[in-house]
Amino acid sequence: MRHEIRESEGALVVSFEGDVDLDTSPAARKVLLDCVRRKRSVLVDMSRVSYIDSSGVASLVESFQSARNAGLLFGLVAVSETALRVLKLARLDLVFPIHATLEDGLAQISG
Amino acid sequence: METPASETNEAVSRPLELVAMMAADFASSRDLETTLYRAVARITRHLNAASGAVFMLDETGEELRCDACSGTPDITGLVLGAQEGIVGRCVQDRRGEIVHNVSEDPGFYPGVDEQTGFTTRSILCAPLTVRDQCLGAIELVNKLSDDGRFSEGDLYLLQGLSSSAALAIVNARQSEALLKQERVNRELELAAEIQRSLLPHARPEPFPIHGLNLPAGLVSGDFYDFFVLDDGRICFTLGDVSGKGINAALLMAKTASLYRALGKTIHEPGRLLAVINNEICETATRGMFVTMVGGVLDPRTSCIRLANAGHEPPLYQDGRGSFRALEAQAPPLGILHLDLVQDAIPEQRFALEEGSLFLFSDGVTEGRLENGSALGAEGIKKLLVENAGLPPADRLNAIVARLRRADRPLRDDVTLLVVRGRERIGETIGEGLLRLNFPSRPDELRKVRWAVSKALAGVDCAEDEVHDVILAIGEACQNIIRHAYHEDPHGEIVLELRYDGDRIIALLRDFAATVNPSEIKGRELEQLQPGGLGVHLINEVMDETAFLPPPGNSGNLLRMIKRVGRKAS
Repeated sequence: MRHEIRESEGALVVSFEGDVDLDTSPAARKVLLDCVRRKRSVLVDMSRVSYIDSSGVASLVESFQSARNAGLLFGLVAVSETALRVLKLARLDLVFPIHATLEDGLAQISG
Repeated sequence: METPASETNEAVSRPLELVAMMAADFASSRDLETTLYRAVARITRHLNAASGAVFMLDETGEELRCDACSGTPDITGLVLGAQEGIVGRCVQDRRGEIVHNVSEDPGFYPGVDEQTGFTTRSILCAPLTVRDQCLGAIELVNKLSDDGRFSEGDLYLLQGLSSSAALAIVNARQSEALLKQERVNRELELAAEIQRSLLPHARPEPFPIHGLNLPAGLVSGDFYDFFVLDDGRICFTLGDVSGKGINAALLMAKTASLYRALGKTIHEPGRLLAVINNEICETATRGMFVTMVGGVLDPRTSCIRLANAGHEPPLYQDGRGSFRALEAQAPPLGILHLDLVQDAIPEQRFALEEGSLFLFSDGVTEGRLENGSALGAEGIKKLLVENAGLPPADRLNAIVARLRRADRPLRDDVTLLVVRGRERIGETIGEGLLRLNFPSRPDELRKVRWAVSKALAGVDCAEDEVHDVILAIGEACQNIIRHAYHEDPHGEIVLELRYDGDRIIALLRDFAATVNPSEIKGRELEQLQPGGLGVHLINEVMDETAFLPPPGNSGNLLRMIKRVGRKAS
């Protein structure tokens, strides 16, 4: 799994690429929580996530809760079909704000 | 010149006291020779003779040797033929006698007088007998009384004293032999301890090789060994030295050491056995030889290389239960020197797959059952079939249990070794698509998912269904790593994928402590604790999930089934 962080319109956009599984989710978790600590809204670009398992999902949930407690926005954008299937199975597709595109997500944050 | 055995003539009328003193001497002494000297001195003195001697028969019964004497001349060490002289006659007839005048007795042997310059006139003689056994005789020479004649009373007393002396001699000899035997036993026990230390330590499942050795005596002429090579393959052997006892045990120790030392560098069993053969041939082994099977197993592929030098054919039982005997293709080791270039011992190579290989010594095939008949190869097969459900090591124990009986010692050393192929982890529904062994490490999971997706590529089902199976396997592995092995990266996981036309069956085997399935259930999603979500995902995507009784009742076996449809649908 690789990741990339960039700033866009005041938000931090984190892109993950590859598999977010038991092996890589600790790294994903650290990246996400660091972003939340910077007191910035976070958008997670999941378009290139080829696989996510329950440990990856747990990292997302923990970061989401942390952001919400800090009064920050935390959303997922362009979630790949594979990842969306897992989120749906976990019935979390209605918990996370999920945006079809990055632009939608950014619009939501600035709006 | 004659001198009395002692200056004082103790009264002969106290024979009981004499017997008591002699008995006390024999009982308190550990040195038979000294005791005999004291006994013959007392008897000579009490019976008022010039001299006395104890003659003992040698082991062959052909010679009489003077072991102790009293008075002059000292004839200790003098050897007579067993039939020579009056003492010889006494031993042959087992009867005491008085000879008043030896010159009138044709049986008298004058050789001793000629050698010593002594003049023998009269002799009193009694055999040393215990039950049917004659040990020798006591002979007294020249009565010192005025008339110079031994009396009937003297003979009667000497016979009584001889009997008790004979009994004491037998006792002393027995306790000496017992002491000697104890020393030998202690040494044998030490040897047995060293020998046991030559056998490898038992290793728990899922290690695929288990052995068992039961010596008939303290030490064994059989051996087995196994050790893991650097590349993960496992070298194993079972051998039997001809003959029994300490000499066989010593050759066993030598052969086993050679196998272990050379086996670490020579990984071809045929060549290894040939090299060991030449080493054994180089030193004389008094006609002893070694039958031996050596092999190398690759546990990842279940492939085996095997060489058999004159040993009982090992039995291969395949996954469906059929047997095949692997006959020896070379003579036993230690008989003929081999040219290592031309005469390598042939090897057999095959994959054990889900079968097992059983090696045993002739103490097993020739072992006796309760009805007295030999177990034989057929008997071994029968017991293996009867105990097919047991873990490999227990199958060996079941065979030994039939041969080992409290009321009768083993006839020969009993040694068995089992080499298991791929572990059969579940029932054999459908065809096998994949079998994978991997360590309980998170960084292995990517490879596992990749292997599963490759294996399912040929299955006629939708892409989503493949993803679901991959997800379920990933989650199940994650649970094994985290909750069964508690993140110990050295655990082993075995995955098997099967397909029967409309169901994909995933079997996952671990060797951690058995978990209680009732404690594993999908937790409330709100909790989102590790483990709970994974189980929830598995239950969502798979149609059936169950923990099965694991083979050998160790570890866990999870079976997950997904019904899959046509790709077109």
